[in-house]
Formats: sequence, structure tokens, C-alpha cells
Amino acid sequence: MLGLGALGFSAPWLLLGLSALPVIWWLVRLTPPAPRQTRFPALALLLDLPQRQETPERTPWWLILLRLLLAGLVIIGLAGPVLDPSRATGGSGPLLIVIDDGWAAASHWRERIAALEPRILAAESAGRPIRLLTTAPDAAGPRPAPALTTYAELKGAVAALAPKPWPVDRAAAAKVLEALPDDAVGESLWLDDGLEDGHGEALAAALRRFGPVTRLSLGPGHAAFALDAPRLVAEGLAVDIARAEADGPRRLTLVARNESGQVLGREIAEIGPDEAGHGVTIDLPPELRNKVVRIDIPEEASAAATRLMDGRWRRRIVGLAFDGGDEALRPLVSEAYFLERALSPFADVRRAPLARLLEAPPSVIVLPDIGHVPAAQRPALEAFIEKGGVLLRFAGARFAASADDLLPVRIRAGDRALGGALSWTEPASIAPFAADSPFAGLVPSPDVKVFRQVLAEPSLELDARTWARLTDGTPLITGARRGAGLLVLVHTSANSDWSSLALSGLFVDLLRRITGLAEGEGGAIEGNRALPPLASLDGFGHLGGVSQGAGPIAADRIAETPPGPRSPPGFYGDPAARQALNLSPDLDALAPLPDMAGVTVALPEVAPALALGPWLILAALALLALDILVALRLTGRLVPTALGALALILAQPIERARAIEPAEAAAEIHLAYVVTGDAATDDMSLAGLRGLSAALAQRTSVEPGAPVGLDLASDELALFPVIYWPMVAGFDPGPEAMARLDGFIKAGGVVLFDTRDIAQGTGVLPGGAGSAGDETLRLVLSRLDVPPLVPVPADHVLTKSFYLLQNFPGRYEGGQVWVEANASPANDGVSGYVVGPNDWAAAWAADDQGRPLAALEPGGSRQREMALRFGINLVLYALTGNYKADQVHVPALLERLGQ
Amino acid sequence: MPVSALSGEALGASLPPLLVEAQRVAATVEQGVHGRRRVGMGDSFWQFRPYRAGDEIRDIDWRQSARGDRSFVREREWEAAQTVFLWIDRSPSMDFASAKGLPTKADRAALLGLALASLLLRGGERVGLIGRGPTGHAGRPWLLNLAEILSRPEPSPTSLPPLADLPRDCRVVIIGDLLRPEAEIETLIESFAARGAKGHLVQVLDPAEADFPYAGRNRFIGTEGEGQLLVGRAETLAEAYRRRLAAHYDAIENTARRIGWGVMRHQVDRPPAATLLALFLALADLGRR
Repeated sequence: MLGLGALGFSAPWLLLGLSALPVIWWLVRLTPPAPRQTRFPALALLLDLPQRQETPERTPWWLILLRLLLAGLVIIGLAGPVLDPSRATGGSGPLLIVIDDGWAAASHWRERIAALEPRILAAESAGRPIRLLTTAPDAAGPRPAPALTTYAELKGAVAALAPKPWPVDRAAAAKVLEALPDDAVGESLWLDDGLEDGHGEALAAALRRFGPVTRLSLGPGHAAFALDAPRLVAEGLAVDIARAEADGPRRLTLVARNESGQVLGREIAEIGPDEAGHGVTIDLPPELRNKVVRIDIPEEASAAATRLMDGRWRRRIVGLAFDGGDEALRPLVSEAYFLERALSPFADVRRAPLARLLEAPPSVIVLPDIGHVPAAQRPALEAFIEKGGVLLRFAGARFAASADDLLPVRIRAGDRALGGALSWTEPASIAPFAADSPFAGLVPSPDVKVFRQVLAEPSLELDARTWARLTDGTPLITGARRGAGLLVLVHTSANSDWSSLALSGLFVDLLRRITGLAEGEGGAIEGNRALPPLASLDGFGHLGGVSQGAGPIAADRIAETPPGPRSPPGFYGDPAARQALNLSPDLDALAPLPDMAGVTVALPEVAPALALGPWLILAALALLALDILVALRLTGRLVPTALGALALILAQPIERARAIEPAEAAAEIHLAYVVTGDAATDDMSLAGLRGLSAALAQRTSVEPGAPVGLDLASDELALFPVIYWPMVAGFDPGPEAMARLDGFIKAGGVVLFDTRDIAQGTGVLPGGAGSAGDETLRLVLSRLDVPPLVPVPADHVLTKSFYLLQNFPGRYEGGQVWVEANASPANDGVSGYVVGPNDWAAAWAADDQGRPLAALEPGGSRQREMALRFGINLVLYALTGNYKADQVHVPALLERLGQ
Repeated sequence: MPVSALSGEALGASLPPLLVEAQRVAATVEQGVHGRRRVGMGDSFWQFRPYRAGDEIRDIDWRQSARGDRSFVREREWEAAQTVFLWIDRSPSMDFASAKGLPTKADRAALLGLALASLLLRGGERVGLIGRGPTGHAGRPWLLNLAEILSRPEPSPTSLPPLADLPRDCRVVIIGDLLRPEAEIETLIESFAARGAKGHLVQVLDPAEADFPYAGRNRFIGTEGEGQLLVGRAETLAEAYRRRLAAHYDAIENTARRIGWGVMRHQVDRPPAATLLALFLALADLGRR
């Protein structure tokens, strides 16, 4: 490849063609453009005229220039010029390429490798020997000093290189370089990952020994993000993200997924230009939160931007059966108080009478000091246990007096007091937990004393069912399987009356273990059992098979094990009780690589190795087109009007794309939604209405066209029977648009206002409570002329316009739907306002294959079906009005007719 | 513009039927004097009609007019038919139009000829074609025949009519571009005149031929084998060409005037009705003389 500075030619011999330019000039000059051919009937008259001597026509100079330029462009373009700035950077001697392939390099890996490639090509064309060194450790252990390699091998190695899901070890890399003699390397090129590991200077020093060092950095906007451990908060999961350097604004998505990778929650993080870290809360109802096994940032796609969550992360819902009792008398020492305080760090506590709890069974039901389960609830409670629930009972005064048999072991009547004035015995402490006990690994504190307990009847299985004992060997906690569930009895009280257990931290741990049993996961893991790797994360955050070199980790050391080649991030243990090992970089310690003396920082070329050839040929083609136009004009075959028409066509203004042409919208029915500007919501609205349209076309005679996104301010609303409006905080269409919407509703349109948040209370009008959707709805409704609204009456047309429905679930269930109290007869009794919180679009939404897009709560195909039925009813209600209301009178009319 | 009997009819319909006054009736009338049952120049009374502006004072019948308030004109029956022979130039030079929107000269010439024939036939005259027999034909069906003849290609087209055997005292109308040497045209009309024929020459020209709007380097190609002419700057020739064209026209006009023929020029970008009207008036003038 011949080169002139940064410009090179791949076929330089073609440039010899330039010497032909003078010949072309001579030829073109001698060959004037052909004269215009004109038929002329009166030629005889012309021939009569005296003829002057014609001077030979010469080609105009500008035409010669144009054609010479054209020929030159073609010749140079075919010679394959390549503009490659990196060629300009000189250098000699062997080149050492150092690549940081730790986790921080993963997020822009392709760009990094792309930045490196022109350098490698330049070195190859210069014929320099080359060595390659990667800084992240790998499973093979310490590496030898980088050897000279061929370019084919090097390119293969670079292409096969993938970022590792653990940090780089630059100190080790610097050590490896010590083995090289000084003249083994003439220049170093260091592709960094932007993150300081404390040994950046050491590596730089090791490289400087050989000669000039260039650090290839991606520049601002490429700092890698890391996720901190999520925290459970009331609204869902709070996650902190951070980067080493605040290098510009970024927009990231945090996605919480369940076991099969479905998205349960999604949150956008807008990171300001000067913000290094950011806190994000992923909104998740407790039921969904418990299913989260993974949080990641798709834009980053690195191991540090991925969090695996094992059973420890799940918050169980614990139902505390309680019916008043002594709570009111002694609020601070009641069992309910102690239990609630002890459970709340890791579980959602629901306090309600047992009957209410069983209506929506939680994971664990706690019965403090209740001797007899009421007979009315007994069957339901037993069914709950059979299906996998955990019943946790505590002894107490009432329990001791008379207990029923819904217990793991049979209990002797009466209690046993230890210590006290009338006893010889001392209050007993808790014996260490047996290895096979669910509490294995916990250390009982000797301070915890038990004063009173209930005793079990001796039996054969008592020993096996005893999970915890007092030092004298009497059972303190017994448990037994019943069906898929568990019965657990704590033989002392849940408050401090009978023991100091409830005052100790052990109480919390015991409850956590018991609750952890609730879903058959997170069970006890023995202290030093080796956990085999189950699945490993790769550098891009994909959870795959066990990576090469991964070994088991002792169960009690998993918390302090640093991720590395032998212990890659991922799941360990067995599928039933697995533990997650995450790459948890310390967010506060993330720091950018500082500028180092003697190290030149280079940014990747904006246009690496730009091949100019095609552009030159393109320019030549454009000139050729111009030349053709000129030639046509000169021979009179191109009239100015044709040129004008051509210019008109080219200058045709492009009209703004409208959502839909009115004629098209009027030709068939289209469902419509309000475009809120929030991309996620709008996509969901579109997908939801598409799903609903498909269901309508399949089941009813309504066959809607594609759904239409409406701009309230400019689009014609009157063409659409139903408009779906999801509330998005901060979306304000403006007073003019609201006036248009008001007119639309008054003229008979139906608008479904969806606050998209679950308002569990049934008597509250959305807009009265305080959630974001409600706030927006309040703002919206304040601009409209809203008539009185009522909850949908049981005999409302909406409940029977197509399907017979009693409630209207969407993504959530149970939110109250409101309609106009007295819809105007002018609109056929159709309520223009349908207001509810159930996020229907999410329930309707399906992808191209008909698979649902969003998880429902509580979930199930029945709920999705009901949501679709509501949608169908709504559309038919909007289209047919009170037609179905009339049907109500049919029985009465028939009766009157004597039928 | 396609030529058809109907488009010729449509053009002719917009003009009042024109009667050609017979001159030397006896020489050309084949079947003698007879009433044509139409208004015309004759001796026997045909009808009275109310006076209209434009009627000659001497035509008013004072006796009849004195009976009422209105003036009446006495019309007499038209008693003679005359034969008009047409020549429509269909040589290659006529197949020319300088711009897309313009009809070719041949189309326009045929249209003029047909319209004229239509009017003549409606007025009861006989119409013939030079070179297709010495007799003219009357009646509407003949108009359709004419149109058909004109729509068929001429086997060996020439610009000027052959010196055919024509009845004496007929009328000749020659429609064409007349772009032949002046001497040739002079010889032709003189020999027609020698046989007692009177007539008109209509020169149909394209605007490009009249104005010579060409500029720049042009290779002019003749349409009838005149050869080619390469002109470097055509605009320099324009003035001389226009003068040459005018001289050509003047020469023809002088010859024609000398022997009592009429000449008029028609450009295809002008409406044909004006030329047609002028042609009729000229024919009528000939008859009245």
C-alpha cells in the first residue's frame, strides 16, 4: 500500500492513468458537442441566403474542465484511496497491545475493539512485530510474558476476546511484563477500561520502561455503571447505580425480571451530566417483588450492571392473625407488637383476623397464643397448609390451657415454668442448633432465657420434628410437614412474658428462617458445605452455564468471596436453595484512571480508515449526470421547462406525517389512545389496543383497524368512538386540547381514564387519593366539565354490553371503576367518562405472537381474559349505547304479554 | 389535431353558409338553370325576409315594406352551382410542427380544406379534388369521402398540384406551404388561369418557419431531400431569413394579383376560423365580381 501521509492507495498503479489526462483534454477539445439536429421545411429558403464561413466549433473551456475532472475522479477513485489518520502516527519497534478486559470494559466492548482495530491494521501494514497482553486474570492462572505473535493469530485472539465478569488485575499484569527484556517492546498501546484499580500507575510504569505509551480511551460518555445491592422498600426495590466519573448525561433502564426473564418492572434512570451516582426505585407490588431474580441495565450489559437475587431477597407476606385481644390494653408488650417488629425487616406483615387472612392467603400465617383455631376457619386453614403455606404458632397462656391438634407434635396440657420462686430449676437457655435443623448456622446467645414453655408428649417422631431445644433437651421449636406446607410451633410465647427470646436478635433470625421456608427455598445451608456453581454470569451479564474454571464455594464464605476466575458471579448451590454471588464493586470506590506522566491518552478516530474511493466514484457519477444534462442542453434535447419540472419535483416539500388521514380513520373503526410522550407508556397503550382490537375482531362483529395514537391538540377526535388515556405524571396536553376533549365527550365520545395504579380501597374515587396517576387525573379532570361520577352500578350496561361481568380487572384487580351517574340521554345514556386504576392496556398488550407483554397481579390467564372482556364490553358500550339496557325489560314485557 | 369530417363540419357550422356566385353560369352548369329551392342569386322570387343589418339597401323590396312597419328584403332563388377544386398539400414538408402543442401543417391544411368543402357542399356547390377526375361532386356523403381520401397517405406526394384537366371557369383553392421556388408557383397558377380557373392560394406556415426562433449551433435538415445546412450561430441568420420569406410571399402575391388570384397566409398557431372566413369572403368576392 503506497501512502502519502494519512492518505493511502490500495491500487496505486492505477494512478498512472492520470497521465492520460492531457490526451483526454486534447480529444475533448477537438470534439465539440454535436450540433442540434433541426428539421426545417423551409430549408430551401435558407439555402438561398448567402452563407458565411463557419469557424470550427470549439468545446467550451468549462466543459473541458468538467470532463477532465470527471476522468480524474474516476482514476483516483479506482486507485482506492484510504484516509487513515492512524497511519500518520509513526512509531517503530515491536508493539505491545495491552487490553483491559475486566467488567468495566463490557459496556462498550464493541466500540473498544473497533477503536483498536485501525491501530492493529496500521501496525500490520508497517510490518511491526506485535505482542498482546490482557489484564484481567483468567482461570488458567498466572500467565507467561506475552510472546511475539503473528497478525492472523492476534486478530483471532482479539476477536475471541470477551470481557471477564471480574475486575482487572493490573499489578499482576505489570509483574508479567517484568519478564520481558527492555528491547522486546518498542511502543505500548493500552486499551483501558476507564477504571482505576489502584495499580494503574504500576502498569503504566512497567510499560514506560519499554518506550512511549499510548492509552486508548473511549472518552466521555462511556463510563461503566455498576449496580449496588438492591434494598427492599415499601414501593418495591431501591437500587443505587454509580459510575467512576460523571462524564455526561446518560439514560438507563433498570429492569427487574423473573426466573424466565420476563420483565416485572422497569424504571428509567435519567442521570444528569454531573451525577456520578443515582438512586432508582423500581416500582413493584409485593407479589411481583417476590418473583424478582435479576435486576439489570440492558444498555450497559455488563456483569456489574447485573444483580442476581436469590431466595434471601424475597419478602414474604406474613399474615398475623389477630382479633384485637390484649393489643388494646397492652400495646407495647402484646405478641402482635413483637411479631410485627421482628418480621417487618424481611417480610410484609398483614394484620387481620384469621378469616380475612384466609381470603387471600399469605405465605406464612402466624397464630400467637391461640389455643383453638375457630371451627369455621379450620378447613380453610388446613387447605392453606396443604397447598404449601406455613402456619407458625406460638404458645401462651391461652394456648397452654387448651390446645387443638393443628400442631406438629402433641402437646401436654398446661405449661412448665422454669425458675421462679416455687421452682428449683433455672430459666433455660437455648442449645446450639443441630446441623440438620433449619436453623443450622445460627448461634444462640446464652443470654436468651426461657421461663415458661409448653411440653410435647413424647413420641417416636418428636426428635425428628424438633428444630430447636433448650439446654435441658426439651423442644423449643418443633415443626412438621403437612402436605406441601409446614406446621411450626414455638413452645413459648411471642412476647416477653414467657421468655426473653422475643427480645433478642435471634428471634428475628429464627423468624426469617421460618419465613424463608415458606416457598420451599432459602432453606438452611450448612456452615461449611461446599456450594457447587450452578450458573455463571459472563462478562456481558448473560447467565449461562458454569464458566470454565469455576469451583465450589463454602456456604459460609459466599458473602466475602471476591468474584474471580475460580468464583465467577452467578448462582451456587442446588436449584432448590441457591445462593447468588454478585460482582459487587464498591460504588464509592469507583474512580477513573488518572492522567499519568509519560502516557499519551488517545481517543479513537472518529472515522477510522475512511475509504474515499466509493465517494470519489459517486462524485464522478454526479458529474457524469451533470455532463449528460449539459450535453442534452447543448444539443437542444433538454428544454428549460423540463429542468424546471425536475427542480419542482426535487423541491417538493415533505408534509408532516399525521397520525392518520381523516378519510382513512372514518373508513373503519379505530381504537385510539392519547400519546403522552412517555415512550414506555405509549408503546404499552399501542400494544394494548392492538391486543384488544385483535380480540374484538376475533370475537365480535367489530373489526377495528390499527390503533391510532392521538395528539389531543391537533388530531381530529370525532373520528374515534373510544379514546384510552393512561395517566402519566407530568403530561399536560394544555387547556386548548382539554377543551377539544371536553367537546368530544359531550358529543358522545367515550374516554377511558386509566390511573394505572392500584387503589385497593373500594370507596375512593381515583383522583382523591395521592398517587402519581391520581394527581394527574385530578389535574386533567379539573380542566373538564365533569358530571357526577359513581362506581359502576351492578346493573350498568357496561356489565353486560357483550359479556356478563361483575368486575373489571386490568393489570391489577379490584380497583373501582367510575362512570357518570346520570349519563345524558342525548348520548344514548352512554357515560363519556370511564375512570379506573387497573392499567388495562398492560393486561391487553400482546406481542406479534400473541404472547402477553406484562405480568398481571395477582396474575393468571383468567384475569387477562376478564380484562379483555372488559375492553370488549367497553367498546361495544361505546358503539351500541344503551341497547343492552333495554334488554333488561324483556322479561317484564314478555310477562305482560302473557308469554 | 386529427382530421375528420366531423371536426371540419364543426368548424364550418360556425359560419353562415356561403354561396358562391356563379360567374359565367352557363359555362359550368351541367344541368342547366334550375331552381335550387334555396335562397340564392336568381331571377325568380323565393321569399321575403325581414331586413337585417348588413343587407344591401338595393335588395329591400319597397312595395312589400310599405305594407307594414318593417322593411323586407326580397330574396331570389339560387339557381346555379359552381365547382370548387381543392388542392391540399400533403408533401413531407407539411408534416412538421415546431412545438408539441401545435398541429402539423398538414393537419391544419386538411382541416381548412375540409371545412371549406363542408360549407360549399352545404351551400349546394360541387367540390372536387385536383388530380382526382375533372368533375366535382355535390352532397354531404361526398364530404365523408373527401375526409377519407385526405386521411389516406398520398402515394407520391407533391407540394403543388399537377396541371390536371379541369373544367373551365371552375374555382381552385390551393392550400399548402408554398415553399417552392417562386417561378414554379408562377408557372402553375398562370397555366390554371389560362384555362379560365380563378382561385386562391393559402400558405400554411408553422410559427417557427415564420419567425425563425433558432439560436446556437444547429444542423438544419430539409424535409424533402434539400440536403443539410450546418449553422454555427443560427440567430445571425434570422433577419435575413425573414426578409427572404417576405420576398418569397411578395413574389407569389404579385403574380397572383396580376392574374386575379388571391393569396393569404395562415399560421398554425392562430385559429383556423379566421382564415376560413377570409377564404369564403374572398370566394364570394370572386363570385360577385
